[in-house]
Amino acid sequence: MKSANEEHASTSEPVIKVEGLRKSFGSHVVLKDIDFTVMPGEVVTIIGASGSGKSTLLRCINLLEIPDAGHVWFHGKDLAAQHVDVNKLREKIGMVFQGFNLFNNMNVLDNCTLAPVTLKKMDKAEAESVAMGHLRSVGLEEFAKADVNTLSGGQKQRVAIARALCMRPDLMLFDEPTSALDPEIVGEVLGVMRDLAKDGMTMVVVTHEMDFAKNVSDKVVFMDQGVIAEEGSPKQMFTSPKHPRTREFLSRYLEDTKEK
Amino acid sequence: MTSESDNSSQRAKAGNGRVASFLLADHRYVFLGTSVVALLGMLLSSQPRSSMSFLAHAYAVEVLMYYFLAAWVVLSLVALVNKLARWRDYAVVSPFVRPGFRKVERILSYFVWAFAIVLFVDRGVMGLFAITSSAIASNSNPKDSLSSAIYMLYEGRQIFATGIATTIELAVFGTLIAFFLALLLVFLRIQRIDRPDNDLVRFLKVIGSGFAKVYSAVVRGTPMMVQAGIIYFAGFGMFKGSGMSVTQVNGIWSTFIAGLVTISLNSTAYMMEVLRGGIESVDKGQAEAARSLGLSQWQAMTKVVFPQGIKYSIPGLSNELVINIKDSSVLSVIGVFDLMFATTTVAGIYYRQTETYMVAAVFYLILTMVASKLLSMFAKRLDVKSGPVMGTSDTTIPSAEAEH
Repeated sequence: MKSANEEHASTSEPVIKVEGLRKSFGSHVVLKDIDFTVMPGEVVTIIGASGSGKSTLLRCINLLEIPDAGHVWFHGKDLAAQHVDVNKLREKIGMVFQGFNLFNNMNVLDNCTLAPVTLKKMDKAEAESVAMGHLRSVGLEEFAKADVNTLSGGQKQRVAIARALCMRPDLMLFDEPTSALDPEIVGEVLGVMRDLAKDGMTMVVVTHEMDFAKNVSDKVVFMDQGVIAEEGSPKQMFTSPKHPRTREFLSRYLEDTKEK
Repeated sequence: MTSESDNSSQRAKAGNGRVASFLLADHRYVFLGTSVVALLGMLLSSQPRSSMSFLAHAYAVEVLMYYFLAAWVVLSLVALVNKLARWRDYAVVSPFVRPGFRKVERILSYFVWAFAIVLFVDRGVMGLFAITSSAIASNSNPKDSLSSAIYMLYEGRQIFATGIATTIELAVFGTLIAFFLALLLVFLRIQRIDRPDNDLVRFLKVIGSGFAKVYSAVVRGTPMMVQAGIIYFAGFGMFKGSGMSVTQVNGIWSTFIAGLVTISLNSTAYMMEVLRGGIESVDKGQAEAARSLGLSQWQAMTKVVFPQGIKYSIPGLSNELVINIKDSSVLSVIGVFDLMFATTTVAGIYYRQTETYMVAAVFYLILTMVASKLLSMFAKRLDVKSGPVMGTSDTTIPSAEAEH
């Protein structure tokens, strides 16, 4: 991970730079003036209470939600500008959803090859061999021809990750990828994500898995009521958080670690 | 003993459904159920014989059957009295529940059924044959309703056949044309403005979805009878205005063509709403996932949402065929020679309205039942869960709960 990090660091241009982002649904303000950067190879986790705007921030990054104001630069291109080809840019931003959102009318392999074949004019055989490689890396090679409705939640989420990887994204967004899974299955998905981080993938992860935030991420962002209350290295955030809300939010977790 | 009866009742339940098990297997009701059958048999036996009755040649056999049924009813009454007298311990002490008796009772109950069926064939089926043959042979319209209906059905068979053929053509072709038009229209209807769209595309999308909305509101908000009138006479006027003679216009713009256009355009609006319901019930996350991979809105729709939405719509779409079979009847107002027009024609010839409309009702019922049976077989092949249901034109498919 470090080597990949340094490689990218030479260019030292942020993958994502968010500036002055605002978003409201009706009269309810969800995001207020968010500033936020993600460097190449960095794994950023966003934590915070439900309704604090974490998922909306993530969804603004690939414009699934249209920001009301502010800028989102992806490799220096402003996504929030009018008439920018969002589809082209989204090809480079993979996203994994809480609800898996696999295409129910296709089998596992077709889920993975749909976008590469449709968009990159990759021929079917090539797309399939790429997809098989990613399915192998998430441990689902033998399910390639399976109907997605027959898979377990953890398997579905791993397919969703493989599907996103097939587009060779520069950045992966994870929107509470393990929240819909039962505790026994969470591990298999987190394992895949950990491997991905180790391979140097740039990732932004919205999660309630504090172990993942603490051990895998390079930067932890704590959001509270639509603003970034505090951000820093996992070590700093989990040992000496400065903001009172952060301390409160992480209190149970901090105590747990003290007991150990 | 009880376990045996339980087993047999379960077997019957699995095989023939509740009614059969109620009448045959459940000991408590064997007497009750079969004595009703026996009484029906006796009632049939007391009906006058038709000329085709075969039991007329075997009078002694019928007398024996009649008394057997009567004896069964008496036996049932004895059992009932016994049950009422010993209702607390009937299941233990009554002679009727002893295994040997039970076996005999069951075998005898089969005879009850057999005799009742023989009597039904003799009086009912053969009677109907007799009425039919005499009605067909008759020179004038018979007085009683059944004979009259058969007489008019036979005399007007060509009229009815033409009418039924036209009704089927209108419903089948109308539904097929409407399906393809509805696919186009629903495509316009669900257009949403997307960020990369330029101003021209945005303008066209607004116009397209607005047109679909207005079309649906107007067509669903006016009766098809009125639409038929407008379409037929407007078309007629248009062709006439272009300098054709009335005969020429009738050659091109026949009532059938006008009727087919009406039913197609009408059904398009309803089918569009069914398709829209199906498409909107596809979980929005899947479209979002497709967009997040870089697919355009159009690609996400055609590759992911449409295939699933159309599949969800199949029960509602096939329901439209059943509705069209029935609703095509209003097209007779412009003179389309469908089943309804045939019915009023025949009724006008013989001045026997009730009987002719009953004939029409039976034909419509047969058509709709055959259609929904075929469609549910088709749906099963496509692995769609719910089959077509009979409904009114106002039936809409409830869309699944949206995520947001």
